[in-house]
Amino acid sequence: MAEIDAVIHQPVRLKIMAALKALPLHDQIEFVRLRKIVDATEGNLGAHIQTLEQAGYVAVEKDFADNKPRTRVKLTKQGRRAFEDYVAYLRDILQPPENK
Amino acid sequence: MEPPVISPEQAADALKLADAAELRSARAYTYQRFAPYLFLWGVIWVVGYGATDLLPRLAGSIWIGLLLVALAVSMAIGRSAAPDRLGPKSNWRTALSFTAVWAFFASTYAVMAPVSGMQQGAFPPLVVAFLYILVGLWTGLRLAIAGLAVGALTLGGFFYLPQHFLLWEGFVGGGALILAGLWFRRV
Repeated sequence: MAEIDAVIHQPVRLKIMAALKALPLHDQIEFVRLRKIVDATEGNLGAHIQTLEQAGYVAVEKDFADNKPRTRVKLTKQGRRAFEDYVAYLRDILQPPENK
Repeated sequence: MEPPVISPEQAADALKLADAAELRSARAYTYQRFAPYLFLWGVIWVVGYGATDLLPRLAGSIWIGLLLVALAVSMAIGRSAAPDRLGPKSNWRTALSFTAVWAFFASTYAVMAPVSGMQQGAFPPLVVAFLYILVGLWTGLRLAIAGLAVGALTLGGFFYLPQHFLLWEGFVGGGALILAGLWFRRV
């Protein structure tokens, strides 16, 4: 990767991506739980998820559970790959490949 | 978006932030997956130990019935937790896990030959407590704390309330599991 992924390189979005990466493949997390994990306000988290969704990194599913609206988020394949590339890029900055 | 220029310090900070969020999420996921099983076993303990105290002669039948209920509910929990990922194989794994646990306790009782119902009743909670502590030390402290509570309550009832041990184990031990289940649901 020649340059850093600016979509992921924002503290709240980075935390969202890392939190989703920790889940097993295809597993979703409820918006409310994600908000507590990344410690963001509802509006802030919603805006950042929208940015990640537009980039194709996360998928959002809205439905009803026990007659209450529920929003669930999961990492897409593209998002998982982008996050892995992002982390690899940061590690290369700390330890360039020629020094490994 | 214009790609920012990153210094090694900023790269290290970003990695730390990502690691912390990943760890927090993984722990929350573990707790969330454990919570319904804690509820389930809390209820099984309340009913099982309570009924054993009231109807000691029917203890064997009561526990067989309860374990079959626990098996069915565990399968349902597994399916609802990850319907995309867990196929029919998970049902077999759950059934075989129950069989392995049952075989462990049956063979242990055969070898160690406990002389009282109280000893038989105290052994499974102590094993569960030990496993929770062990797994909790590696995956999330809440599980270790739940194990510690169940172990301490079991030993406390065994030594200080022998005449009411089964009731104690049902309502206090089972209650502790139900409370732990509630606690595990919180992020």
